[in-house]
Amino acid sequence: MEIPYIVNPRKDTGLTNSKIAIWLFLASEVMLFGGLFSAYIFLRVYADYPWPERALPVLPGLINTFILIASSVTVVMAWASLKLRELTKFRIYMSITVLCAGLFMVLKGMEYNAKFHHQAVRLNDYAVVEGHLHPHEGLKGTEITIEAETVSIDLFKFSKSYYADFSAEWDGKLQLEKALVVDGEEIFPAGQAISVDMLSQAKELFINNRANNAEILEDKLRQSWKFAKEETPGENNRNAERKKLQNDKYKELVDAIPAGDLKTAVGSLTFKATSPIALHIDPKKIYKSASDKEGDSGSIVLNDGTTLAGTMGNSDIVLDVDAISFRHTVMQAEKMGIDPEAAIANSWLLKDEGIKTLWDNHLIVVEKLEQHLLEEYKTKTDANGNEVAKRVPTEADRYRMGWKEIVALEELQKAGKDLHDLTHQEIQDAYPSMTAGFTGADHKSGKYNFPKLTIPREQVLFESKFTPAWNNYYAIYFTMTGLHGLHVIGGAIVLAYYLFFGTGMYRKNPEWLANRVEVGGLFWHFVDLVWIFLFPIMYLM
Amino acid sequence: MSDHADHHNPGFIQKYIFSTDHKTIGIQYGLTAMLFLLFGFYLMIMMRWSIAYPNEPVPEWMSFFLNDTWKAQWLQNGKMPGETYNMFGAMHGTIMVFLGVVPLGFGAFGNYVTPLQIGAPDMAFPKLNMASYWLYLVGGIIMCASFFLPSGAAKSGWTNYPPLSFFADTQHPNQWMTGQTQWLVGMVFLITSSLLGSVNFITTIINLRAKGLTWFRMPFLVWAMLVTGFILLLSFPPLEVAGIMQLVDRVWDSSFFQPSGLYHREIGLVNAAGGGSPLLFQHLFWFLGHPEVYVLLLPAIACVAEIIPVNTRRPLWGYKSMVYGVLVLGFLSFIVWAHHMYMTGMGPAISTFFQTTTNLISIPSVILLTCLIISLWGGSIRFTPPMMWACAFLPMFGIGGLTGLPLAFSMLDLHLHDTYYVIGHFHYVVAPGILFGLFAGIYHWYPKISGRYMSKVLTHLHFWPSLILINFLFFPMLIQGMAGFHRRWYNGGDAYVVTDPESANVFGKVVAEHIDLNILMSTSAWLLAVAQLPFIINVLSAWIWGKKVENDNPWNATTLEWATPTPPGHGNFTKEPIVYRGPYEYSRPEVDEDYYPQWQAPVKPKAETNKDA
Repeated sequence: MEIPYIVNPRKDTGLTNSKIAIWLFLASEVMLFGGLFSAYIFLRVYADYPWPERALPVLPGLINTFILIASSVTVVMAWASLKLRELTKFRIYMSITVLCAGLFMVLKGMEYNAKFHHQAVRLNDYAVVEGHLHPHEGLKGTEITIEAETVSIDLFKFSKSYYADFSAEWDGKLQLEKALVVDGEEIFPAGQAISVDMLSQAKELFINNRANNAEILEDKLRQSWKFAKEETPGENNRNAERKKLQNDKYKELVDAIPAGDLKTAVGSLTFKATSPIALHIDPKKIYKSASDKEGDSGSIVLNDGTTLAGTMGNSDIVLDVDAISFRHTVMQAEKMGIDPEAAIANSWLLKDEGIKTLWDNHLIVVEKLEQHLLEEYKTKTDANGNEVAKRVPTEADRYRMGWKEIVALEELQKAGKDLHDLTHQEIQDAYPSMTAGFTGADHKSGKYNFPKLTIPREQVLFESKFTPAWNNYYAIYFTMTGLHGLHVIGGAIVLAYYLFFGTGMYRKNPEWLANRVEVGGLFWHFVDLVWIFLFPIMYLM
Repeated sequence: MSDHADHHNPGFIQKYIFSTDHKTIGIQYGLTAMLFLLFGFYLMIMMRWSIAYPNEPVPEWMSFFLNDTWKAQWLQNGKMPGETYNMFGAMHGTIMVFLGVVPLGFGAFGNYVTPLQIGAPDMAFPKLNMASYWLYLVGGIIMCASFFLPSGAAKSGWTNYPPLSFFADTQHPNQWMTGQTQWLVGMVFLITSSLLGSVNFITTIINLRAKGLTWFRMPFLVWAMLVTGFILLLSFPPLEVAGIMQLVDRVWDSSFFQPSGLYHREIGLVNAAGGGSPLLFQHLFWFLGHPEVYVLLLPAIACVAEIIPVNTRRPLWGYKSMVYGVLVLGFLSFIVWAHHMYMTGMGPAISTFFQTTTNLISIPSVILLTCLIISLWGGSIRFTPPMMWACAFLPMFGIGGLTGLPLAFSMLDLHLHDTYYVIGHFHYVVAPGILFGLFAGIYHWYPKISGRYMSKVLTHLHFWPSLILINFLFFPMLIQGMAGFHRRWYNGGDAYVVTDPESANVFGKVVAEHIDLNILMSTSAWLLAVAQLPFIINVLSAWIWGKKVENDNPWNATTLEWATPTPPGHGNFTKEPIVYRGPYEYSRPEVDEDYYPQWQAPVKPKAETNKDA
């Protein structure tokens, strides 16, 4: 018997197998993205930090929206061409569809790339600074520097690849602090230089000795229980006498183990630096760190169990600042019942002259905006009978300045204009246009100057690139658009398969290929539809 | 279209390993699932030792095959420390649910029986079917292989709640190579496998039914598989979302499930963005987690529903109400999930809603069980091997269901939450309930699969000890749970015992009163393992030495799978089957035999011809 209804629909259901399957699959996809959209709502509603609104550059997203819509049209045209038995037209339309998918992914990649190179720092007072990293003192990114004097290596977790990251810096400079003596035999003398071979050998020794000891002690423990049970028949293990008998017997048995049977299992080796070695450590590799402040004596435990001890070095973060935001500061201040304006005024950030000037100018911009809104939208009477402005600047307007504002203020200053004399509209006109900085702040072209700021590490509460780590907005943005992107790639592969390998199917039975393209097209529409929802919630809301 | 016909004489590898035939895939699922069940059982055997004899080294008969290096890392001079217990516990749950029972019920029985019962030549998408199996196997191996990673396997419970799971295995050079991450990766494979499987099942049932097999002529098993398919299709994706989000949390350092200001004993204030919600994970997890219970249950109850009519020689009582019951059950299973979360502080209003829906769902469950029990009434029962298991299923699953009712109430749950009562409740559902139902299925269809009967003697040796021991294993859990025993105590409560009668520590005294039940339960568990030996021997030996079946329909059953050759060849049916009647036409007056198969062309009704005479 053959599997029926592959090309021709079943009479009573009116459907082919693949048509049913694709709708079922889409139902599960709806649940998948439904789960993600629900998570988005949950995370946004319960966010205890300011949710970034309209934080993404709209233009690439908008173009991508049109690209996907266009591809949805062409995929239908491709299907229709097959129905009309026009293979060439099908190929043209399908090629356009697949090209659109590629273009979509290229734009997505550009957006991602910009974020991976954009740094954010949250200060102890919850002020947020964004910008591009400025390499300094051998730091490429936001590494933590330690002038390491001793390095202890956890032999069990020791891994060669992890070691290799540091070996260039410490090979030849680290020497074994104390001789490794195992049961009277000196394995490595004190002062022996660190090497992968040495560590691997010590690791093996540790694991073997540990296993050896465990085997012996397990046997003794077993014997002691056997003895105690025989001495106290009819009792249970919680019986005090049995417990005592077992305990005593175990001690006795362990004491009686011939010397040399139990081996010393050394689980870590400590090395001393001939002179302090400056190590720059990627924060992602750090499990915990005692202090970040330069000059403090510190110790850093890495993810592979390695402990570095010494003096903390310069781990400052130097940024070309393209945005500052006090929204989180204000939120925290309100939570604690502190006046938000005072919290901002006390912020470490405003101790920097350049930033202070910027912020003072920003306050004028806000004032101008407030005036503008009042003139434009007039006032209304609130519940208490007071006359209030119908529209007021948003939290983001008030407490955050973005890169375009920073650039505009600089331009105006260069032109020698006093902000007080300008209207809201005149200030707005100085802003870079919508197309400037396609994927965000434009650091590349050199057209704009951004103020440089050095942030001492002890002022930093949290720092990250604009990756999922920065906050849950970016986390859900990357997760959802990433999954959507995978769907685009998957869909494009399937459609490209029909484009390049569908001819055989077409020759056998054109309706067969048409059915397949219809099914692929349904999926493609779904991918488009998801984006139609993603675009507004991520870019516009 | 034609590629199905291409491999009539496939080679060994194509026929038995990379097979696209639903029967072979069903058997692959069954054998793999049973191996995983055995492994999950073994983990539990070790855990039960730690519970009963916490201070004694694990006996050699349990641990002789573990190598010294592994033992040195994970056992403490032969004793099981809490961390290892947690790892075993997390993996026991995961393996039993995701790698054992679901693949056995849905994967094995669904695959083998469903296409046969609807008169289809195969599943609608045979290659997809093969992909489902291999994704399942790879996912399972990934998860279990993590026992041998330096980090060990996942250790945060089968529910993998953050932030607990977030901290597990964080201090590791390579986050991808840790048990906790591999659990998530394995899970993504398993979910993908079930999604492909469920799409395939539903399509097959909708479109590949034989001529004349209208919806209400479908055997109950097919209905159950249809509903199971829909549950898997729609409830698994949110878990996939949760898994992906946890993966992003682990590997790309996001804070989806980590609240602000998270503090860890060792690390101090956690260096993460914060602002996430552990509650979100629980919602996403239980949106699958609860429907999953019905994914476990429905195939088992479906097997029983097939076996009872055959062995009572009378129709299934209330077939239609069972069908509607299972549909309602499937629907309601989507809106009960938060009854697992009464203790999270999500608020009394939400608790009340879920308490109501949870009580509602007991109605269709009771309908199903009641119909099965009434089906026995007035039947001429044949106590064949499958029937014994089916009969045991009814009361055992009944206990499991009824002990769930107190848990449905948020007030009572305050006391019972996370105690051994919960463990007792769902193990009654899953082990003597679902597994007994599936055992029944194995004994029932074995003659069709192999052409031979399983041994009756070995069946009795398997059945009676299992039935008795499993009750000694699980019933005391209910008692201990009401006494307040926590489900995650790795030493069975040893640390809480108070022996001094003068002590003011009432709880310690209550623990002391009930702690010795541990020994009874553990011993039962170990003996239960021994009681499975006759089954293993039976399955293997009957394949070669079992008594051959007399014909293609050895049980004189009515459903279509018995119209195939034994064992069914590729394409299943020798000629296209046509269905003339409902699935359970037993003891009909118009035919001489006491069964009237679906595929048998109708005879002239006897009653009419006799009337005039």
